[in-house]
Amino acid sequence: MSIRSEFATFAGKSSYWFLHTFMNGGSSLPGKITTAIDPAILKHLGQNYDIIVVTGTNGKTLTTALTVQVLKQKYPNVVTNPSGSNMEQGLVTTFLKAKNPKTNRPLAVLEVDEANVIKLTKYVKPIAFVFTNIFRDQMDRYGEIYTTYKKIIDGVKLAPEATIIANGDAPIFNSVDLPNPKIYYGFKNHDDKDNFKAEPNTDGVLCPVCQNILHYHYISYANLGNYFCEHCGFKRPELTHELTKLGALTPNSSDFTVDGQDLSIGIGGVYNIYNALAAYSVGRFLDVDPKDIANAFTANERVFGRQELIDIDGKETTLVLVKNPVGLNQVIDTISKEKDDFSLICLLNANYADGIDTSWIWDGEFERFTKMPIKKFITGGERYKDITFRFKVAGVDENIHEVQPNLEKVVEEIPTLPTKKVYILATYTAMLQLRKDFAEKGYIKGGME
Amino acid sequence: MTKEYTLHIAHLYGDLMNTYGDLGNILVLKYYGKKMGINVESQVVSLDEDFKSDDYDIAVFGGGQDFEQSIVSKDFQTKKDEIKKFIDSDGCLLAICGGYQLLGKYYIDAEGNKIPGIGVLDHYTEQQHDNRFIGDIKIKNKETGEVYHGFENHQGVTYTGNGERPLGDVEQGYGNNGTDQAEGAIFKNVYCTYFHGPILARNNIIAKHILIKALKRRYPNDDFSAQEKIDVSESY
Repeated sequence: MSIRSEFATFAGKSSYWFLHTFMNGGSSLPGKITTAIDPAILKHLGQNYDIIVVTGTNGKTLTTALTVQVLKQKYPNVVTNPSGSNMEQGLVTTFLKAKNPKTNRPLAVLEVDEANVIKLTKYVKPIAFVFTNIFRDQMDRYGEIYTTYKKIIDGVKLAPEATIIANGDAPIFNSVDLPNPKIYYGFKNHDDKDNFKAEPNTDGVLCPVCQNILHYHYISYANLGNYFCEHCGFKRPELTHELTKLGALTPNSSDFTVDGQDLSIGIGGVYNIYNALAAYSVGRFLDVDPKDIANAFTANERVFGRQELIDIDGKETTLVLVKNPVGLNQVIDTISKEKDDFSLICLLNANYADGIDTSWIWDGEFERFTKMPIKKFITGGERYKDITFRFKVAGVDENIHEVQPNLEKVVEEIPTLPTKKVYILATYTAMLQLRKDFAEKGYIKGGME
Repeated sequence: MTKEYTLHIAHLYGDLMNTYGDLGNILVLKYYGKKMGINVESQVVSLDEDFKSDDYDIAVFGGGQDFEQSIVSKDFQTKKDEIKKFIDSDGCLLAICGGYQLLGKYYIDAEGNKIPGIGVLDHYTEQQHDNRFIGDIKIKNKETGEVYHGFENHQGVTYTGNGERPLGDVEQGYGNNGTDQAEGAIFKNVYCTYFHGPILARNNIIAKHILIKALKRRYPNDDFSAQEKIDVSESY
């Protein structure tokens, strides 16, 4: 170890200790300090770990958490980064925080922001990359899906021996020929008789080989599924791990079968099944027994944190983060599994963390809400005008639709809603504001962390 | 409004040019169409599919990603004659961002490639380096006095040409090119713009203009004073 790295690590660890002990925090600042002293510090910190990188647009956090649960079944030391600390400095901090490993080569499962993959692979070579999906997300930040994928690939090219564990149902992950070993996971709960195209406002449906429009035998959601090109024969790769059956699906649970093993997770939504499928594939890659994977999925409910149930004076309130059209449509699909009457609150902000362009709400299938047992609608948030008009165009009954721009008043109103169940969809900063208010009123303990 | 009216929308490359919620423009046309007693039907017209001018009253052409747009550029050339016929016969066309660019002579994409449009309108689009115009935008149409609100996000800088008037003068934001204070273009019944939001969702009055013009073109002998009275002033 160079003196510079040594000093950088010392400075970083001390600042973490200080922040952690006295400031009740310490997320990316130690990483900042360390990286400033030694820009190549990741090489020094990461070299003793077998690293698995999880990247993609949606599902990074849950896939990472589930993968950690799965790997802990067999490996005692698994380091991981907290949600949100997925850029270079957050990764440095994660390694700084890690206790000195007991085993020779501990595992590190790291959620890595798409553009930061290369910042990691410049210094350390992971053993595997997990690709969840690439969808349009906050276009003002990275741009198009192909640009985003290229950023990931630029990083992967520095680690040609790492195994790529990719969502086989996403055509984009089959569009660039890479030398890496590959494992694909996907849905095989259908035969190949059907032949159809995706809905008009679906992203990424051009064949990467001949640029004609892809057809499908099956679509699970968005542009994910069993795709093929009628013109050139391009098609979904052979799947290594197949989901062969979808069982009972509710807003809070999903049963399914992968490679003959029955699995269950305590969260709804087809997109979450993909996250579990990714974690399963990593587990199998590292020889975790399928039965142990099944146990890992049911052992710890806390990993499903993003979609939590809050008791608001007797109302069973589910708060869900929405941030892009694909995610939103998956949330709508998940809520459609609700059998009881419920009330629906939708809060739209357009600050930087929400995405400053609200156009994406028009790709949301809000029309589906008009067919669900919803007794009361409330629209609000800083951009309440946009979301309210979206609801009107969707055909929501004006007699049970209330516009309430003031979030505190929304919270006050929850106990008076006509149903026991309440679903709240909120963009990121609206969710922060709401949680702050929930915490002040004692409905939840902390803020966002 | 006892008579049943029907208008047909061609959603040009709706499966490829769909990046910024542009489907919303069609949903809003249907929404106000219903209020005006019009049955509004829409159909995607994409790669290798014929666009027949006479079949449609309104065409909506959204923006896409560079890759998709480069493919659309090639196919769009095969539809050029019918698009020109549609415009010349006062068909209503709403073109956003990439759709706007492809109606003109050419645009330069992010990689510096020159992508041909079909040149039925006289504008052209150059590229700015390492910069995008991103943010809320407000413009005022000189002829009507109407003020439009939207969100712009584009690297291309467009310069309008013969016969094109701006959709509005920029009061806040950048517009076509950040220099001449113009945003979008109007030519006959063609409305071009960089506005997302989508434009018709945040500026219902333009949806109304398009529907009324399309009605008068399709049903030239009917009286639409009742439809013209429909209130669209509320944005929600």
